[in-house]
Amino acid sequence: MVQSLNGSIDMLMAEDEKVIVMGEDVGRDGGVFRVTDNLLNKYGDERVLDTPLNELAIIGMATGMAMYGLKPIAEIQFQDYIFPAFDQIVNNIAKIRYRTGGRFSVPLIIRTPYGGGVRGGLYHSQSGEAYFAHTAGLTVVTPSNPYDARGLLVAASRRNDPVIFLEPKRLYRAGKTEVPDGLFEVEIGKAARLREGDELSIITYGSMVPTVMSTVEKNGLNADVLDLRTILPMDVDAIITTARKTGRVIIVHEAPRTLGVGAEISALIAERAVDSLLAPIIRVTGYDIPYPYSHEEFYLPDEKRIMRAVDRVIKY
Amino acid sequence: MAMVGNLSNEQAITAYRNALRARALDMKIISAQRQGIIGFHVPSQGQEIIQIAISMLSDKEDLIFSYYRDLAMLLQRGVPLSMIYDQLLSNSKDFQKGRQMPDHFSFKEFNFSTVQSPVGAHLPLTVGAAYAMRYSKKKGIVIATFGDGATSTSDFHAALSMASVFNLGVLFICENNGWAISVPTSKQTKADIYKKGAGYGIPGKRVDGNDLIASLAGLQEAFDYVRSGKGAYLVEAVTYRMGPHSTSDDPKKYRVDEITDGSENDPIRRLENLMLRMGVLDSASIQSMRAQAKEEIDRTFEERMSIPPTEPETIFDDVYENPSWIQEEERRDMNAPD
Repeated sequence: MVQSLNGSIDMLMAEDEKVIVMGEDVGRDGGVFRVTDNLLNKYGDERVLDTPLNELAIIGMATGMAMYGLKPIAEIQFQDYIFPAFDQIVNNIAKIRYRTGGRFSVPLIIRTPYGGGVRGGLYHSQSGEAYFAHTAGLTVVTPSNPYDARGLLVAASRRNDPVIFLEPKRLYRAGKTEVPDGLFEVEIGKAARLREGDELSIITYGSMVPTVMSTVEKNGLNADVLDLRTILPMDVDAIITTARKTGRVIIVHEAPRTLGVGAEISALIAERAVDSLLAPIIRVTGYDIPYPYSHEEFYLPDEKRIMRAVDRVIKY
Repeated sequence: MAMVGNLSNEQAITAYRNALRARALDMKIISAQRQGIIGFHVPSQGQEIIQIAISMLSDKEDLIFSYYRDLAMLLQRGVPLSMIYDQLLSNSKDFQKGRQMPDHFSFKEFNFSTVQSPVGAHLPLTVGAAYAMRYSKKKGIVIATFGDGATSTSDFHAALSMASVFNLGVLFICENNGWAISVPTSKQTKADIYKKGAGYGIPGKRVDGNDLIASLAGLQEAFDYVRSGKGAYLVEAVTYRMGPHSTSDDPKKYRVDEITDGSENDPIRRLENLMLRMGVLDSASIQSMRAQAKEEIDRTFEERMSIPPTEPETIFDDVYENPSWIQEEERRDMNAPD
């Protein structure tokens, strides 16, 4: 995924000189995960900005750039560190188009790695997608593979609105997927059906996709699997279609359960397809605790916890 | 452009006229607020002179990130009174479609950016705007205004830090009116505000923001510095908030007014006295200018009052360039028959 993202940003910069990359360590170091590797050499320090260590400043400055004609791609080194910029994101970025009656827009991509599984403890592991998805004016996406990473990033760059681009850091170097050369788009707001099945539906996204897929394959589940890809606005048609098809729905995400994305998915199904349900909707999620350093393997949803939920909905 | 020492009579009279218009407009809005016609107001009374000086020295190409208390600046820069009223009244001619509280202006054609309520949150945007201008080789500088309270925010320091590291042409002007709602500047900061740039390598100076000539002289140096490409500059303009913070608070609870409307230390009165002494105006012309300002303010108010409000369903527009299914579904829900 790192290579795919790096190549995508490179091509976007080559295509449009208004694209600017900025953030902590994105230049000389190429980003702590190397997503912006070599861009400084190629495009120079007017287009690749190593910034002071201040997330509020990075996001605020990127917003001003976007309002006045540039197309910044700002990196927040870990999603855990985005909170000083939260006021900018919620009160400026998400509202500038609205509050100016559409006369200003903020075509800005905020890229940030999220999620655990890298022994990062409290502050390199959180999954904060729900914070952003609660704010109208934002678009929130998360790829689960290198192909979607490129397609979603390109689609985000074609928007004239801000996009929170969440990168599951555990998957940065996982697996090998062929990504076609060149730029292509994956439509924002459309889920991917990863697998057809009739007996139950598993709805997931981002970092949990490989865990869900390996569980399904290993256990030979007859499951319809959805990768949401976009958190806001989520693909309600795909969600309702699969819920109606199987009547048994499990939602898997790494973020904590309470008021998480799974709660919204459950509510959408309850409002629109409750008559199709054959079992309660079950959420398999990270626990409602701060992200632990030791024992993190117990925090992350795994095969065992997913299979417990499968048993519950099948045997109901 | 005005220069100290050669401010023409005409420039001085225009400045004075706009100060009178701003004061009369403030009074009118407060009265409309009391009658329930305008929802809210943040008066600019007492700060007209520094605001006018800023507009006198700024060029058309300069981008201004003002704050919610800058009425006189708008008028001096040429924003039509009608456009200001349309925003205050949230009518269907309001460019912002009634989405913002009164005084939260955005006049793109006059290069006024957009005002938000969270104090200081526009300041980091100014450095991005300055970066975009330099990158796109556009003429002009960025001017940011804010109150003394804003100098305590992280946004202020974030902006100074960025402006300094990237050597950006932002002129930061603190309109220190002595109060952040009920908190005096002495409780906001122990240090002098104009010195706060020093830690970032940004020069600063304090000017008497209640005196037009002193304001112009002090600001000129700052404008020249920023225009020459040397980087950012921080001005602390000492002024005075004559009224309450907003129509929602009562300053009697926390202070005694030191400057009042029409008193000898009222900045507009000071300009008036100067012009009388210089023989630019006489008391008859002052009387007629006051009457003219009031007449224009009242007449335009009546005119704009007759414009209908926006359609309710426009609340779902402009959340995104293209609405998602969520806004469309909620729009249908709002429009559903009873």
